[in-house]
Amino acid sequence: MPTRLFPLLLLLLNAAAQADPAIPGELQLNGFGSIGMTRSSNRNAAFVRDLNQPKGTQGQWRSETDSLFGLQASWQISQQLALVAQGISRYHFGNSYAPELMSAFVRYEPRPFGSLRVGRMPTDFYLYSDSRHVGYSYLTVRPSTDFFGVLPFSHLDGADLQLAHPFGNSLLRGKLYWGKLDEDLPLADRRWQLAGSRLAGGNLSLQHGPWTVRLSSTILHFQHNLPIAEVSDALRQLAPGLPAAGETARRLDVAGSNSRFHSLGAVYDEGPLQLQAMLSHASHSTAAFQDWRAAYILAGYRRGNLTPFVGYSWIRSRSRELDTGIPRGISPDLDRLNAGIAGILADSHSEQQTTTLGLRWDLASQFALKIQHDIIRGQPGSLFPYRNENQAWNGRTRVSSIVLDFIF
Amino acid sequence: MPRLHALPLLLLLALSAAHAEMVVAVRADSEIGPLNKTELTHIFLGRYRQLASGQQAEPLDLPVASPEHAAFYEALLNKTSAEIRAYWARLVFTGRVAPPRTVDNSERLQEQLLANPRALGYLERTKLDRRLRVVFEFGER
Repeated sequence: MPTRLFPLLLLLLNAAAQADPAIPGELQLNGFGSIGMTRSSNRNAAFVRDLNQPKGTQGQWRSETDSLFGLQASWQISQQLALVAQGISRYHFGNSYAPELMSAFVRYEPRPFGSLRVGRMPTDFYLYSDSRHVGYSYLTVRPSTDFFGVLPFSHLDGADLQLAHPFGNSLLRGKLYWGKLDEDLPLADRRWQLAGSRLAGGNLSLQHGPWTVRLSSTILHFQHNLPIAEVSDALRQLAPGLPAAGETARRLDVAGSNSRFHSLGAVYDEGPLQLQAMLSHASHSTAAFQDWRAAYILAGYRRGNLTPFVGYSWIRSRSRELDTGIPRGISPDLDRLNAGIAGILADSHSEQQTTTLGLRWDLASQFALKIQHDIIRGQPGSLFPYRNENQAWNGRTRVSSIVLDFIF
Repeated sequence: MPRLHALPLLLLLALSAAHAEMVVAVRADSEIGPLNKTELTHIFLGRYRQLASGQQAEPLDLPVASPEHAAFYEALLNKTSAEIRAYWARLVFTGRVAPPRTVDNSERLQEQLLANPRALGYLERTKLDRRLRVVFEFGER
């Protein structure tokens, strides 16, 4: 499907090349995209780029995993005021490339040290997470799946405020944001509604010479339950005689629960050398998700047009136990209910590490070709980052990718 | 053998272009005073553009494919033009900040500098005239 976009793309590239950027009053059209093929070697679970994707690669080469296309229109009305809108077509919920509106906001910069944006913006949970679709802007084929893949919240409708202040040769920058989510996530063949979930957070970053260190924190208040109503309903029916069942149903509710995401990121970027290290921690008040810790390090060194890179990442989550109070062996229905709950709890488990090797080749201006190989070593119970696992899944796979990234 | 004579001359020209000394200049009466490397980096990378007066500095870029662009960012950050482009791809597509305005060539750059006291731009030292003032120069290299 992405190959059909190519002629259109070349036309747009030509048109955009003529445009002079950022002259007040002028409308600018820019775009980005990735065309790639990705294959995960293990047939027993589908590897996905992130949890927005309902299907992934299981032994076959797929273009859907890492191909996407984005188009942005921006209008700098005056030095203080700008309008930006961005659409992305990527493989996501609904098993389709249906375009989605990723940004649509007005940016107001009354003073050079601060700006306010109102509208729809990409979420900014971690350092670099708001640019994770723009492959041309980073070294790897995709952002670390252990770190970013489990974070499927793409955009928020709300506002953000950014301020910067220099201290000697250092620059301190802060950002606060709040708003609501408005998207759907695939869960097996069902739909989990995120619309209406509220988000608030902020980050503080310090830049000094080649160093950037950023601390980020976000709290997310969910509006809707997971699409597991039959389990919750069955538990609530048992509640009058079995209080533990009612308590289990309550603890599995996601609606009304809070998730907190904290992270610390450090980047060293000096000439040809790039180093990144990030740590994150997610905690959830609902029992339907497991608290996790994740981290990654990435190093790249450019020589001419070639930048080989190497990375290592991991994610671990803590399993939860829930005593449903339902005795085993009384009826097949109740046993199935117990098993269903155990399945829900097991589904959010992550326990794996990934070693990444790759090469970025800036082959022409505006184009970068990347090849990457990921070696994933995990436990058979590491299910959360994947789709469509079967009993034979052993938590181990190798992912090979080749992607052409472009901007215009 | 006129062709053979031309060759060293061409080489010399190519070398002098690659080593052209870049300076950052403003209009002579601009409020922008001497800048250090950190301040210049903040302005050109869109991190912080406030001047002492509270006004916003307006950096000007030459086309990404130009030798001046390559020479300036190599001298300032030891980065290639492709890396600078990748940096801006991140900021432009998150809609956080606008990149420096690009002008076609150093003649247009000079016109823009003369027209706008808050503008600053890089050009070869040889293209300076008395209407412009240097606010940053790279040390001995």
